[in-house]
Amino acid sequence: MKPIFSVPNLLVRLPLFAAALFFCAGCGKSNDDKITVYRIPKETPPAASSEQVAMTSNAGAAPTVHWNAPEGWEEQPSTGFRKGSFLVHGADGKQADVSVISFPEQAGGLLANVNRWRDQLKLAPISNEAEVGTPLPVAGQDMFFVDLVSEQGLQPDGSKSRILGGIFPLPGETWFFKMMGPDQLVEAQRNAFRQFLESVHLVNAAPAAMTADAGAGKTNAPTPPPIEPAQGGPLQYQLPANWQEKPLSPMRLASFKAIAPNEKETDVSVVALPGMAGGDLANVNRWRGQVNLPPVDEDTLAKSAEHVKANGHDFLVVDLVSPAPIGDKAEKQRILAAILDENDRSWFIKMTGEDAAVASQKNAFADFLRSLKIP
Amino acid sequence: MSATTIEPSAGVNARGYNVNDFLRPLRIFASLRLTVVCLGFGMLLIFLGTLAQVHLGIHAVQAQYFQSLLIFWSPPGADWKIPILPGGYLLGTILLVNLVAAHATRFQLSRKKIGIILLHFGVILLLIGQLLTGLFARETQMRIDEGQTLGYSEAPREVELAVIDVSDPKFDQVVAIPEATLARGGTIQNPTLPFTLKIRHFFPNSRLAMRAQAPQAPPSIATIGFGANVVATEIPRTVKDDERDLSAAFVEIDGVQGSLGTWLVSNAIAEPQSFTLDGHTYELIMRQRRFYKQFALTLEHFAHDRYAGTDIPKNFSSRVRLVDFERGENREVLISMNDPLRYRGYTFYQAGFDNNDSTTILQVVKNPAMLLPYIACGLVGLGLLIQFSMHLFGFVKKRNR
Repeated sequence: MKPIFSVPNLLVRLPLFAAALFFCAGCGKSNDDKITVYRIPKETPPAASSEQVAMTSNAGAAPTVHWNAPEGWEEQPSTGFRKGSFLVHGADGKQADVSVISFPEQAGGLLANVNRWRDQLKLAPISNEAEVGTPLPVAGQDMFFVDLVSEQGLQPDGSKSRILGGIFPLPGETWFFKMMGPDQLVEAQRNAFRQFLESVHLVNAAPAAMTADAGAGKTNAPTPPPIEPAQGGPLQYQLPANWQEKPLSPMRLASFKAIAPNEKETDVSVVALPGMAGGDLANVNRWRGQVNLPPVDEDTLAKSAEHVKANGHDFLVVDLVSPAPIGDKAEKQRILAAILDENDRSWFIKMTGEDAAVASQKNAFADFLRSLKIP
Repeated sequence: MSATTIEPSAGVNARGYNVNDFLRPLRIFASLRLTVVCLGFGMLLIFLGTLAQVHLGIHAVQAQYFQSLLIFWSPPGADWKIPILPGGYLLGTILLVNLVAAHATRFQLSRKKIGIILLHFGVILLLIGQLLTGLFARETQMRIDEGQTLGYSEAPREVELAVIDVSDPKFDQVVAIPEATLARGGTIQNPTLPFTLKIRHFFPNSRLAMRAQAPQAPPSIATIGFGANVVATEIPRTVKDDERDLSAAFVEIDGVQGSLGTWLVSNAIAEPQSFTLDGHTYELIMRQRRFYKQFALTLEHFAHDRYAGTDIPKNFSSRVRLVDFERGENREVLISMNDPLRYRGYTFYQAGFDNNDSTTILQVVKNPAMLLPYIACGLVGLGLLIQFSMHLFGFVKKRNR
């Protein structure tokens, strides 16, 4: 056998080694479990897809159901299945529960649902729903009104229970209105409940109306989640002229409206987030996105940003104007914002509004920054 | 030792160091015995893996037996496990190293060996191709209703938690958290979200029941949304091909001013839960993991042809419109059973249908190593042809002499 080790042979082998090494490196972790962030155009559900319409009461064309609660009913936060929820208090401390629920399509039909309620009162099922209910005209359609009372004492004090219910079949979904509680109390509330059912009306609202802040009064369906009270020391500042305090929303440590000489209002918010909160650049680019400006890089930001130094703080201030009016607004929008990284928190003071209105408040904004005492 | 031992004295080169010192460890890996042992284990693995499919299902077997380094066994009821067999990845890697090392130590570039070299190179490519497929190939599905346009495919066996900022009237900003991150638990932060998400529990598969039907269940840790009225219980992952896991998670949202509440999310519930924070409305939904494409498909028509007068299927096909703004594509494509659409590295196969023939299900396969097996088989075939032709011609020549 001739000797096989020579430099050229070694050169042939090296790529093989390299291939083996590359292959081992390839065994490493792929980026399979990364969190991804993307922007997509809003989805429009297809007209005739049963799967898409199912469970989504706010899908496309379906009208939304609204009602007015009688005086004295205490509204409860609505949960996923409950579109509305109330507590009714009796004179002797007893309570009855009122719920509004919707299910897709027929939800099993009238009879099955009447028997479901009968079962809750430990009553035997019936074969014809007309035995226990009557049609009730509501919003130009027929609602099925049911009145059921238990035979046994189901309440803690041994008294009977009663259910008053309304089943309201609509195209694509069925709504259930129900009051359940001690016989006497529910009986006493019969007129109020009828009045409640008769107040039900359909609104052909845009889909967004269901999910956005629709819980302002007792008339609308969902209620926004309860807001936890603020914690931490109060923020100290001096209010510039023509600025007014506004009620706080969840993230805001302070909230104002500033009234410009042209009577236009701008919104000012003070928000603090733990840590770097994504960094200055990410936040500035987020704001740039809000006024339809392209993102910038670190260098451009460093060149274009201003600094306001006050009370030993160094605020990074950016002033962003949209190139054109946004959405249905008539004027260009402007964001004037300051970022401060301090005390393991990032502070964001942001003014948003119409271009001219924000411009008129620039000095007031700087004065406000100077007066701010970070807790 | 292996069949062909190399003379130690042959390895001193002009610079005076011994190349053999380099190659000695390689020679252990170059052993032919190792090849035989690996192939034996490979057969055993295929046999056991096939049996295990009965209890584990094909997906779990693929993950545990073939796409793994070691196969573990634990006695029933114990919480420890011991490795009992090498897994597919380990065997494949050893075989690959074995083959490469054999060539490295015994390589001779001669005309006589060209067939063998080609053949082995083909086998190496085949092994690498299989590994790359296992690591990088992804199979997802697209379910399109007639008239619907879809720009993404979904992983049938993996969920994600999507946090969607729906405030913009035209766009949704989506933060998609994959299942692997949810399963790790802990607190999740993202620079685009003004809050953190704490994964308090994650159930890969679960059973959901209304609280009214399970009055003795412990109180839910969900404080907001439908979770307060629902009892979620963890159950083992399904092994059946025709079943889907219903995952669930309890997610607590923390703003700067404290907790906003704990939500229960599950892919069993199609309705998103929304909350409002700092003027933005966010939706929280657990769904099958989505993979967005740079293009979109619209199902124009799904056809389910039957043989005349019978219910026996003859052909399934989907007429789709492919729209890609980036590349200026806008064309009609017919995808049928043996005629997939190949576009931008994806292959769309006709996989199924639903909703009384008005929904098509396309299997979407992305495999960057798709071509390697074809090249490898070509090389092996060519190598064999050369090798056997040389033998044949040599034999014929010898006989004629």
